[in-house]
Amino acid sequence: MGTLEQLHDAVVDGRAAEAVAEATRGLDEGIPAQTLFDEGLMAAMRSVGKLFEEGEVYVPEMLVSAHAMTAALEVLRPRLVQQGGRSSGTVAIGTVKGDLHDIGKNLVSMMLQGSGFEVDDLGADVDSQRFVEAIRNGAEVVALSALLTTTMTGMQEVIGAIRDAGLRERVGIVVGGAPVTQDFADAIGADGYARDASSAVRAVEEVLGRVRAADGRRAPAR
Amino acid sequence: MNAVFAATSAAGSSVTPAAGRGTASRERVELALAHQEADRIPLDLGGGLVTGMHVSSVYKLRQALGLDPAGTPVKVVEPYQMLGEIAADLMDALGVDVVGVSRPTNAYGFRNDNWKPWSAFDVPLLVPGDFPTDPEPNGDFLMYPCADRSAPACARMPKAGFYFDAIIRQDPIDDELLDVADNLEEFGPISGEAIDHIRGEVERLLPTGRAILGDFGGMSFGDVAFVPGPTLRHPKGIRDLEQWYMSLVTRPQYVYDVFDRQCEIALANLARIHAAIGDTLTAVFVTGADFGTQQGPLISPRMYRTLFKPFHVRVNEWIHANTGWKTFIHSCGSIWKLLDDIVDAGFDALNPVQTSAAEMDPERLKETYGDRIAFWGGGIDTQHVLPFGTPEEIRAMVRERLRIFGRGGGFVFNTIHNVQAGVPVENLLALYSAVDEFRAYPLGDGS
Repeated sequence: MGTLEQLHDAVVDGRAAEAVAEATRGLDEGIPAQTLFDEGLMAAMRSVGKLFEEGEVYVPEMLVSAHAMTAALEVLRPRLVQQGGRSSGTVAIGTVKGDLHDIGKNLVSMMLQGSGFEVDDLGADVDSQRFVEAIRNGAEVVALSALLTTTMTGMQEVIGAIRDAGLRERVGIVVGGAPVTQDFADAIGADGYARDASSAVRAVEEVLGRVRAADGRRAPAR
Repeated sequence: MNAVFAATSAAGSSVTPAAGRGTASRERVELALAHQEADRIPLDLGGGLVTGMHVSSVYKLRQALGLDPAGTPVKVVEPYQMLGEIAADLMDALGVDVVGVSRPTNAYGFRNDNWKPWSAFDVPLLVPGDFPTDPEPNGDFLMYPCADRSAPACARMPKAGFYFDAIIRQDPIDDELLDVADNLEEFGPISGEAIDHIRGEVERLLPTGRAILGDFGGMSFGDVAFVPGPTLRHPKGIRDLEQWYMSLVTRPQYVYDVFDRQCEIALANLARIHAAIGDTLTAVFVTGADFGTQQGPLISPRMYRTLFKPFHVRVNEWIHANTGWKTFIHSCGSIWKLLDDIVDAGFDALNPVQTSAAEMDPERLKETYGDRIAFWGGGIDTQHVLPFGTPEEIRAMVRERLRIFGRGGGFVFNTIHNVQAGVPVENLLALYSAVDEFRAYPLGDGS
């Protein structure tokens, strides 16, 4: 089995030390960092997402895989930066104000990194203005999480703050978390909804596609 | 109609305890847990730490029922989730059938005593003397283990929050040095003082005639509310929640060994508690570890069977062999795929029956498991309907749930987990008014 397959399998099985060793070996063998990322890490996280959706793995296994992926990503990151590796886009993510729950958010954050996104993880209990700042710093998508019925209404405040700052048009907003539904997402004017960590990646990709297409349409008018 | 709702709808004034309500409560709950229909479906509010109500909602409900003059504070009896006291007058007003007994110290290891006034969530409160009422510079409130401010803080309530959550205090994990004793520091032999407290509480509550739900801790194997060690000054072992979840996969033997020792300690404590209070409890809270997410099981059925079920079986078998108590499991989320095993583990009652999660259809739950496990919860969806629905929607759901889950007994009405802050008081009144109206057997057809 080649290095790429070994790297893929180590991440899927959640063997962090082995994933790091395979990523290092791949670089030593002259495999481009971008290839190791695309065909090793990203492919692995796609496999993990599929296994999760099929009910073959659950949250603990997914966390173990995601941590193995991020460990290997640290090995590749300097080369990816050096070689001008392409990013899928930049996502600012955080749990809304008043809510300290972050396991789901962390898992989404890692899944996004494993899909080639630059992730600006703002943490938990995040004030609306910090999301606004993150957009000014280049985030194209904002991903909001909440576990509680009492705090999920804060998502609407974040969207309001983004609108007030005049940034709503240039950013996609995806929401998720236990009490959040598609209806709620629609009601507060979010662009996307994700029911779990696996579908969050798809939701971000879809929303980002729409934002970029809209940007393209707007561009000639500028 | 209950006297309270008649009185409040007429004048919003004082409350007369419903006659005879207290005397039959215990039997009502026992019949329900034995899958028999009593005179009416029993109601729990505040019997346990997952069947209560946020203090701000308790305040609004008491005011709406005319139980207190405006500005009368409500006690925070559980500082972790900021649950309000469900006092005897409120129980009488709503027809509550269950009371709780627990250890003398709360989730943060200090006593609920030396009450002091405080104000939060726009309502007047009383909190224990050791409760932190001085905010940090950023407006957050920090909780300290056993109220010891020389130790690192163990929990935080954000300025915009409604209750506390654990602050993770995790030393670097060295697998070579990991010792199961590190994750067992919070478990140990129950003190004589705690036994005396439990006995005293039971003696105080028995004359109320209500069913007593005991919660003595120590049997919630892997409950992430307690894995961070909120009572410990310097927790050792695996305390970070992601690390804990990952350890279920990467260090299963360590986790198993922790549970094994924890189980021995818990059963020895139960024997001492039972020796002190006998069969006065109707049910005992065994575990509150969550096995479900909104969309499906948190862990695989196989992991439940290998890592958790053996201990659930051991506890249930011991309790059934040595006491007259029924056993109570709480697990949030979608646990449909785990229920064959959870029921098979021997639990008598399931809570909170989160019907708002995937695959948790009330009819199917009742049809499939209703003859083997009682549903202690599932009465109203607290994620969407209770906080955000209309009084009419609440009434309709309560009526339907009473009809579905109440069929043939096997149902203790309870909201799905604690009633949260911010629920409109009209919705709370609609909830308990509908319970009162539709809880009597024989049940209607719901039409």
